[in-house]
Amino acid sequence: MLEINNLKATIGTTEILRGLSLSVKAGEVHAIMGPNGSGKSTLAQVIAGHADYEVTDGTVTYKGSNLLELEPEERAREGIFLSFQYPVEIAGVNNAYLLKASMNAKRKHQGLEEIDAFEFLKLAKEKMALLGMDPKFLNRGVNEGFSGGEKKRNEILQMAMLEPSLAILDETDSGLDIDALRAVAEGVNSLRTPERAIILVTHYQRLLDYIEPDFVHVLSEGRIVRSGDKSLALQLEEKGYDWVREAATG
Amino acid sequence: MKSRHFSMDALGDAIARLPDDRLTAIRNAAFAHLREHGLPTKRDEDWKYTDLAPLVDIGNQWLDLGDDVTPQADSSDVSDPIQKSIDADWLLISNGQVDANSIAALAQDGVTVELLSKHDSTANFSAPLTDLNSALLRDGLRITVDANHSIKRPIGILVVDIAATAASLSQIRADVIVGANSTLDLIEYHASSGEGEHYANSVINLTLEDNARANWVRIQDRDRAHNQTGRTAVTLGRDSQFHHCAFDFGGRLIRNDLAVDIAEPGSAAVFDGLYLAGEDQHIDNHTRVDHRVGPATSQQEYRGVLTANARCVWNGKAIVHEGADGTDAEQANHNLLLSDKAEIDAKPELEIYTDDVKCSHGTTVGQLDETSLFYLRTRGIDIVGAKQILTTAFAQTIVSKLPVESPRESLAELVSARLSRMLEAVVK
Repeated sequence: MLEINNLKATIGTTEILRGLSLSVKAGEVHAIMGPNGSGKSTLAQVIAGHADYEVTDGTVTYKGSNLLELEPEERAREGIFLSFQYPVEIAGVNNAYLLKASMNAKRKHQGLEEIDAFEFLKLAKEKMALLGMDPKFLNRGVNEGFSGGEKKRNEILQMAMLEPSLAILDETDSGLDIDALRAVAEGVNSLRTPERAIILVTHYQRLLDYIEPDFVHVLSEGRIVRSGDKSLALQLEEKGYDWVREAATG
Repeated sequence: MKSRHFSMDALGDAIARLPDDRLTAIRNAAFAHLREHGLPTKRDEDWKYTDLAPLVDIGNQWLDLGDDVTPQADSSDVSDPIQKSIDADWLLISNGQVDANSIAALAQDGVTVELLSKHDSTANFSAPLTDLNSALLRDGLRITVDANHSIKRPIGILVVDIAATAASLSQIRADVIVGANSTLDLIEYHASSGEGEHYANSVINLTLEDNARANWVRIQDRDRAHNQTGRTAVTLGRDSQFHHCAFDFGGRLIRNDLAVDIAEPGSAAVFDGLYLAGEDQHIDNHTRVDHRVGPATSQQEYRGVLTANARCVWNGKAIVHEGADGTDAEQANHNLLLSDKAEIDAKPELEIYTDDVKCSHGTTVGQLDETSLFYLRTRGIDIVGAKQILTTAFAQTIVSKLPVESPRESLAELVSARLSRMLEAVVK
């Protein structure tokens, strides 16, 4: 589904990604771990199409096409979803309105009719119940005045409604208490299907207790320095990132 | 060659051709005053950014036509959809002529609507454009709400100008009095169409008696090639409440003056405004509140979205006179500039001559937040759609403050349609 080969990306004059390669197949859950500043969030932003990052080398192929040629909205309509580390508060834009607009943008791209208002509401309420969200959040401004946990649940709600092919969750666990973490993890797990791939970007192993990855990759200085199964995350938890860094450079 | 001054002889002739009635005395007095003092120029501080010369030019062309009445064209194409979409008892002023049928049709208990010429008026030389209005006034509206009466349905003043000739001028006038302990909801709507050049000059005088309340919505959606100056002068009685909400979508050169005089204690004035300006539009909003006594409050928030080479002005003046203790005055003006060529001149002015006051002002000029735009795009919304969502939310803040319910839906549509056209033009 996603093939990243020797990807190099800069912001301003600073090179953040320095030759990153990663292959993600449908049905797989990959965890990208690494210390602060290793390039985890940059990778997520580059896949989503953030204009501040310039790709200087390498290729990213998504469903067989060159992803880097697409605008962020085209990537979204093609099934890529980024759950933001810091979801944006958009005062005055109704949460339900954005959800519906996103779904319809994607449906239009797929040649489908706009979603029926009744169907939409039914679906939204169903997904919200799963995430332990009060339906009142539908009529609030997008993330406006939401707590950290509420914002992350709202991201997962969008993901659940949009049913992406490739979901990237950027530090979705940060700032969550244990109940919120469980609810979010349950939401994500409910979306694990053989057709869908998920990339979890996380600093801590904690999230992986709830969402078990098929693969764990360790990012350091813009490259994947070690890959393994979920036991790698436990090793990291025990030995710290220095262990990987030393292993990589040593 | 554009002239800064009206051709006074031709103006005198046009005034002489108007009917001899109870307005004759103020027409002549206003003409004499105008002749002596003229119209403001860019050298006047309050007119620094807005040049009346193109409007004077239209006026002179119209005077050259030598016709005292702008030919009456059928305005129903413009007025009917507005009257249908906004619930109100509509009074119609078409090409500066009050539609007597609309007066006759208005039958609300406690509300009296008459032609201004049925009464003696006293000349008021408060502003040069009011002189022009009085001098050339064919007739106007006089609306009175009795004391101890709250109206059941909003009153609408629908001003429609059809510019059928090469150049035309219209004078619009309404004097409105809200009696003690009474409430008035009023919607003032300006629209126009036609190929000719047009300049409309409007004067509203509103008096709130003790403990009265007026909720006033002004909507200006003129043809993009037409022009308007408008002055709303408000006097607030004791414990009265005034909420003005103004929307400017259309027009080429638009200048609005809102002057609120707080002469009695206990009153509260709120005025909000929204201006959406695109290519070749110039929209100038000047507000002035005179706090002569306290305690009293004034709060204003104007917002603007500018694209292309739009030019807007917001000047909010609050004068707290000596002895007006207990005054609380707030001003805010926020602008989104979506083009390098757009320009906003925003100027809050506080003049305070007493000690016990609370005054604040805040002005912002900015662009759309890039992070929010990216966020929306990652949700599948294209760049124009994302901009539309963010600008609509910005503008919605003012729509949400509407003090009269019936125009809400129409306004939301007007805002959305106008922003959509402005943003599509940006992309092209």
